[in-house]
Amino acid sequence: MVETLYRANVLICGGTGCTASGSEGVLKALEEEIARRGLREEVRVVQTGCRGFCAMGPVIMIYPEGIFYCQVQKEDVPLLVEETLVKGRVVERLAYREPAQHKAIPHYGEIPFYRKQLRIALRNCGMIDPERIEEYIAHDGYAALTKVLTEMTPDEVIAEVKESGLRGRGGAGFPTGLKWEFTRRSPGEPKYVVCNADEGDPGAFMDRSIIEGDPHSLIEGMAIAGYAIGAREGYIYCRAEYPLAIKRLQVAIRQAEEYGLLGEKILGTDFEFHLHIKEGAGAFVCGEETALLASIEGRRGEPRPRPPFPAVSGLWGKPTNLNNVKSYANVPQIILKGASWFNSIGPARSPGTAIFALTGKVNNTGLVEVPMGITLGEIIFDIGGGILKGRKFKAVQTGGPLGGCIPAQHLNVKVDFDSLREVGAVMGSGGMIVVDEDTCMVEFAKFFLQFATAESCGKCIPCRAGGRRMLEILTRICEGKGRLEDIDKIRKIAAGMEAGALCALGQLTPGPVMAALRYFEHEFIAHIEDKRCEAGSCKELVAARCLNACPAGVDVPAYVSLAAEGRYAEALEIHRERNPFAMICGRVCPAFCEQRCRRGDVDEAVGIRAIKRFMADHERKNPWTPRRLAEARTERVAVVGSGPAGLTAALRLAQRGYPVTVFEALPVAGGMMAVGIPEYRLPRDVLNEEIDNIRRAGVEIVCNKALGRDFTIDDLLDGQGFRAVVLAIGAHKSMRLGVPGEEKEGVCQGVDFLRNVALGKAPDVKGKRVAVVGGGNVAIDAARTALRLGAAEVNVIYRRTRQDMPAYEEEVEAAMEEGVLFHFLSNPVRVLGPARVTAVEVQHQQLGEFDASGRRRPVPVEGAVFQLSVDFLIAAIGQRPDSACIDGSGVEVKKDSTFKVSGELGTSRPGVFAAGDAVSGPASVIEAVAQGNRVAWAVDTYLRTGRQEKYDSRPVVHFPELTWDMEKYGEAGRIRPRYLEVKERRGTFREVELGQPEQAIREECRRCLRCDLEWLESHPAARQQEGKRAAEGV
Amino acid sequence: MASITITINGQKVPAQTGQTVLEAARAAGIDIPTLCHHPAVKPIGACRLCMVEIAGQRTLQPACTFPVADKMDVKTESPKVVEVRKFVMELIFSERNHFCMYCEMSGDCELQALAYKYGLDHMTYPTYVKGYPVDASPPYFLLDHNRCVLCRRCVRVCGELVANHTLDMRQRGASTMVHADMNLPLGQSSCIACGNCLDVCPTGALVDKRSAFMARNAQTEHVRSVCSQCSLGCGIDVVTRAGNLLRVQGDSEAPVNRGLLCRKGRFEPLYEKRTRLLAPLVRTRDGGHRQADWNEALQTAADRIRRTPAAKLGAMASTRATNEALYLLARLFVKELKAGQAGLSHPVAPVFSDKIPDRLEEIAKSDCVLVVGADPARDQPVASFFVKRALDAEGRVIVVGAPESALAELADESFGMEEIRKAVEAARAASRPAVLYGAGLSEGVLEELKPLAGKALLLPLQPGVNTFAAAKFGLDRVADPSGLDVLYVLAGEEDLGDRILGKIGKDTVLIVQGCYKSSLTDRADVVLPMAAWAERSGTLTNTAGLVQEVRAATEPAGASRPDWEILALLGERLGIKPGASLEEIAVHASRQLQ
Repeated sequence: MVETLYRANVLICGGTGCTASGSEGVLKALEEEIARRGLREEVRVVQTGCRGFCAMGPVIMIYPEGIFYCQVQKEDVPLLVEETLVKGRVVERLAYREPAQHKAIPHYGEIPFYRKQLRIALRNCGMIDPERIEEYIAHDGYAALTKVLTEMTPDEVIAEVKESGLRGRGGAGFPTGLKWEFTRRSPGEPKYVVCNADEGDPGAFMDRSIIEGDPHSLIEGMAIAGYAIGAREGYIYCRAEYPLAIKRLQVAIRQAEEYGLLGEKILGTDFEFHLHIKEGAGAFVCGEETALLASIEGRRGEPRPRPPFPAVSGLWGKPTNLNNVKSYANVPQIILKGASWFNSIGPARSPGTAIFALTGKVNNTGLVEVPMGITLGEIIFDIGGGILKGRKFKAVQTGGPLGGCIPAQHLNVKVDFDSLREVGAVMGSGGMIVVDEDTCMVEFAKFFLQFATAESCGKCIPCRAGGRRMLEILTRICEGKGRLEDIDKIRKIAAGMEAGALCALGQLTPGPVMAALRYFEHEFIAHIEDKRCEAGSCKELVAARCLNACPAGVDVPAYVSLAAEGRYAEALEIHRERNPFAMICGRVCPAFCEQRCRRGDVDEAVGIRAIKRFMADHERKNPWTPRRLAEARTERVAVVGSGPAGLTAALRLAQRGYPVTVFEALPVAGGMMAVGIPEYRLPRDVLNEEIDNIRRAGVEIVCNKALGRDFTIDDLLDGQGFRAVVLAIGAHKSMRLGVPGEEKEGVCQGVDFLRNVALGKAPDVKGKRVAVVGGGNVAIDAARTALRLGAAEVNVIYRRTRQDMPAYEEEVEAAMEEGVLFHFLSNPVRVLGPARVTAVEVQHQQLGEFDASGRRRPVPVEGAVFQLSVDFLIAAIGQRPDSACIDGSGVEVKKDSTFKVSGELGTSRPGVFAAGDAVSGPASVIEAVAQGNRVAWAVDTYLRTGRQEKYDSRPVVHFPELTWDMEKYGEAGRIRPRYLEVKERRGTFREVELGQPEQAIREECRRCLRCDLEWLESHPAARQQEGKRAAEGV
Repeated sequence: MASITITINGQKVPAQTGQTVLEAARAAGIDIPTLCHHPAVKPIGACRLCMVEIAGQRTLQPACTFPVADKMDVKTESPKVVEVRKFVMELIFSERNHFCMYCEMSGDCELQALAYKYGLDHMTYPTYVKGYPVDASPPYFLLDHNRCVLCRRCVRVCGELVANHTLDMRQRGASTMVHADMNLPLGQSSCIACGNCLDVCPTGALVDKRSAFMARNAQTEHVRSVCSQCSLGCGIDVVTRAGNLLRVQGDSEAPVNRGLLCRKGRFEPLYEKRTRLLAPLVRTRDGGHRQADWNEALQTAADRIRRTPAAKLGAMASTRATNEALYLLARLFVKELKAGQAGLSHPVAPVFSDKIPDRLEEIAKSDCVLVVGADPARDQPVASFFVKRALDAEGRVIVVGAPESALAELADESFGMEEIRKAVEAARAASRPAVLYGAGLSEGVLEELKPLAGKALLLPLQPGVNTFAAAKFGLDRVADPSGLDVLYVLAGEEDLGDRILGKIGKDTVLIVQGCYKSSLTDRADVVLPMAAWAERSGTLTNTAGLVQEVRAATEPAGASRPDWEILALLGERLGIKPGASLEEIAVHASRQLQ
């Protein structure tokens, strides 16, 4: 046969993923276009198997250049042919773009997705035409079979496979060579070789890809196994849902038979081997070896107890060797390249590669083959390209529905059989599902449990009934009907199933639930005790995701809906039920609601904060006098600290009839809102108006009175007759850098700097060089403030990358626009100068292992040090409460100086409560407000009953009608913020973000999808509670 | 098999290789609780109650499937084991309706007993959510899914032992159910109502309708006896309470059937509707009957017999009679009275080989079974189970001359009688052939079969019940009732009217020994009431020549008497004394049977 030599080969993926995204059409268009241009003799188009990068399908590779195109549509074909195949140029538009830098990467080998991969089992997938045996042979195909048949005895083959250390890729990791040896040594004839291609894990498709893309590697591996163990007959058990795989296998078997590579007298030797395909009906349990064998025999696919193992009594009671597709596909390479080559890859006890189907919330979904021992973080962040939309990684489920989730603190775990087991997950057959903060781990675990119980064969009781009982428990937890003892019950059932179930399916069914419990028990408890689903996904508990995301439980859809009608006063009233600071939060709120907005899944989140600001500002002309909700009471309550937590607590207590006095150490009220957040973000008049609202509720605010300096807790309780004290002292104490020279003049703390500026005691930085250390909001605020004070140059030194900065993205962006210079991956190591700082020595950092927060830990780059000349150095690397003020008061604090409190915010001293940053550590205004609400309820309960009772944190919902036609706003884009021109910001503290016109705001409101309606309709009882709970001000 | 020693709960125990841990433990008198396990069927390790701790094993192992090995160290009641066992039971109780106080099996239920043993005194999980329908469609029993624990004993008995494969599992996971065929009501399914599933059900899921709620086991009496419904002679266990028949169960230790029974043996005799004869009757002048005492009835019969010349005297016996009765009949009428006619009501199958299997299990091991001129599925159902088992084991089954029979439908081939040669060829080619044949073989067919005698198992399926013994006593053909002056009929439970009434003369004196009123007793001059199957003792000889003891489970109804006793009394009246007691007669009979 004479093969035409082509100038170029165009490889187009014909895997199932790419076919689904239209590769058949592209193939046809390509062939037509090539024919039209008369290039048929020069360019060959080959339909290959899967190349793994399914998220980017259809993918095309062009050789000899190795150009990689992705998401090619048939409309792109004429351009592709014209540019690349005729003119030899790369079409940038079709090249892969790396998400972070958005840079085009046209060459296959440079794409990060492929760079860290090592392909052994998938070596030919996407590289050859799977329906042509000649192409497989040209890639050393059947050379291994030839070698074993002509040069090796069966025992030598087994020895080689044993030596290689290959472990079963089906998931359990049993040494393959050892299994072969058992089968060979087992008495009984005939012997069988069986391949498990019953890939049943949801989302896993590596076996299918190998069969579709390189069927001969499986056939060759099985023939070698047949020779080694002494079998003449082999079965491939492949699920019937894989029609393409079955077709390719049929073609491949036929071709191999024609070439004398299967059948009798293979390669002229006496070795005889026949292969049969058995189609499975798609029961997950048939992946279990004994069930699989039963199914091949035509019986109900159910496992049986082992022993006897299939090696002794398998198919029709005969010795049978059963391996996974991937195990067989590895064998020819081991034979050809030798055991020592194979066992040099990866860790000693798990040599070789692992194949994963990477799916979920990662940028690069698809099929990856990596050397064992690579870390989980490398797979997810380097190969997978990180989390979609830059969200936060939460966990990854490995091992499919029988595996377990692994949280951020274990991103450094090595991917191999043993290491994964140590962290409570399993290798399994290779599914890897990445989830972000939007996934509720209880529901996630429930999903897998649901799958596993549905797939239980029902033979043994622990699996059949145990799984079901556990599912019932999880279901009720997700519905908010769980009980605390349910967690023990889950553990008990899990232990029973693990010890009692007949096969691995039953034994491992509790795995995902146990892993979720191991790492996310707090989520289970939140569902049970607080009826709260943090991720916002449990339908019964979440009226709307925005509302659920708001720490204070403000009914977002309700006020947005009223604002759409221009009913701002009513909207504001609803807002103030849970959060009195609408104008403030309309400006500085991190807007957790927007981060979870369902509209954001469609295009962009609704501009909730802008709506809030507008409605609050609109009503400024009608100052608010908070309603009294209960009879006047005589018990006096002292609140220490006038930040958002203290003021909210004071307001709520005053509304419930208590006389409240707020003590403030500083000369101004407002706490961090007054002296932390700069004026250009939060104008003072706005702040003061909202504080005045609270005064109008009857709250007395006394400034310049500091706890520990001017009075003690004893004074309050015993001397002044307060019946309860709320400590809301915030977190005003800065953390020190801990580097030599920190005490030099010109070095100050971020919060001190901001406070001094707010109190009119700004240091003179005019014309000076300023450096700020840190990546949080305080650092950015300090930098932008310094700039406004006239600093000549402001640098921000941060040890991690920009993506890892905790500061709000828009603040960082604004700082950059205003001219702040950023030094990422930099860490100050020494402050230089005689008495006053003149420079800071900065060490370059690089990203190392992942830390508990799921970010890569910066590690110093040896010798990479530079000096930055500065006149002022502001350290803003974090704050903690200054707990010195309560020394000796009997109130306990934790190691990090935050107060030790009960679930109801009571401190260790009866009658003394705490809230805000002093409890949670530095947080946002809205989080402090939430605690203020909560602590007020706790104090109220305490004063009325003498006890601490559980706070019902479920939000109050309202029922405004849907008044607009949603269809009309399907295409509407998010409102664009308006800012003060950058040049106008210098030297002034004028508010940077500007207001919006009413019409734009009302249009923005109508982008809301009113997700709450579905919940409201299914919860008619909530309507009756609406008025009641709102009236009580809970 | 080799003798080894294992340790169970610290105690050294002998065991055999090839045994399971459960077998070894039970042999040593150590109980390991089980639910799905039943010694008659293969272990499946499904219920997980027999889990034990075996040193060196990572996880607990089911004792019912785990093979013993020398020096194995087993713990059957360790805390870990007990915990799992209780967990499993709690789950079983959570699955369906296991409120014992409402259950027929309460007191006899294996699950309940285990729950007591392990102290399950409350429901751990919210109990069953869903009620299942009760399948009461079969005539004799019902299947209550609410009590089912899915142990599959019934399914395995139906498949492995009866080889009928009516019962199976459908759905999976928590939806798993026992079902018949493709989820048909049992009464409309391929179920043959053999009822063997009832004997193995550990709970109250399969319940005998007739005896439901009539007694707990402790209140009953069990009599091991032999079924007298066909020639196989299956062992039965007759259950009574206070003299009342409750039900018939299989006798698992019986050599012939190993506990298996069929509808004919298990259920039908308990549903008898005919009028029982409770006192002797003699004919009155006006053609009617009047009640007589035994003395008068026997004397009347003896007088008629004595007055009749031997050539005009005849006797006919039902094949259901005991060895003792048949022996006496032959002794009286053939040997002593030299009656012109003495024979059976049913034909006799020829016996031409010594290689007769006395255990039906041997048929199941055959790789080629010929069924010739017989319909065991209808006439000897238990034998058909073993034929079907041979089919399941990939053996060939060939039916000859019974195209309408149920086995013919399942068989690999069905030939006409004229094609007997083809069948014999196939049997000859097989390594373990077996032939089951009936009574109606022509000479030609017999000749064809004879060459197999050396190689094949040859089991005659006598169409009657005790035919083998009758033939041995000389009653080896069907009696001709015509042209006789006096005919003595040992009808027993059969109504032989159609075989006799048209053939005897108007003046023929008819003496009938029977259990039920029938056309024959209506015509009879003397009626001698006889004890029915469960009321008599004696012996029966099955189709393979095996003599087995029949034991009375209840008292004879009314004035009726056992078959042999009536003949013995008649003999006395005739001056013949073959033996004073059952034992004595049995000795004489068995001597003749050897």
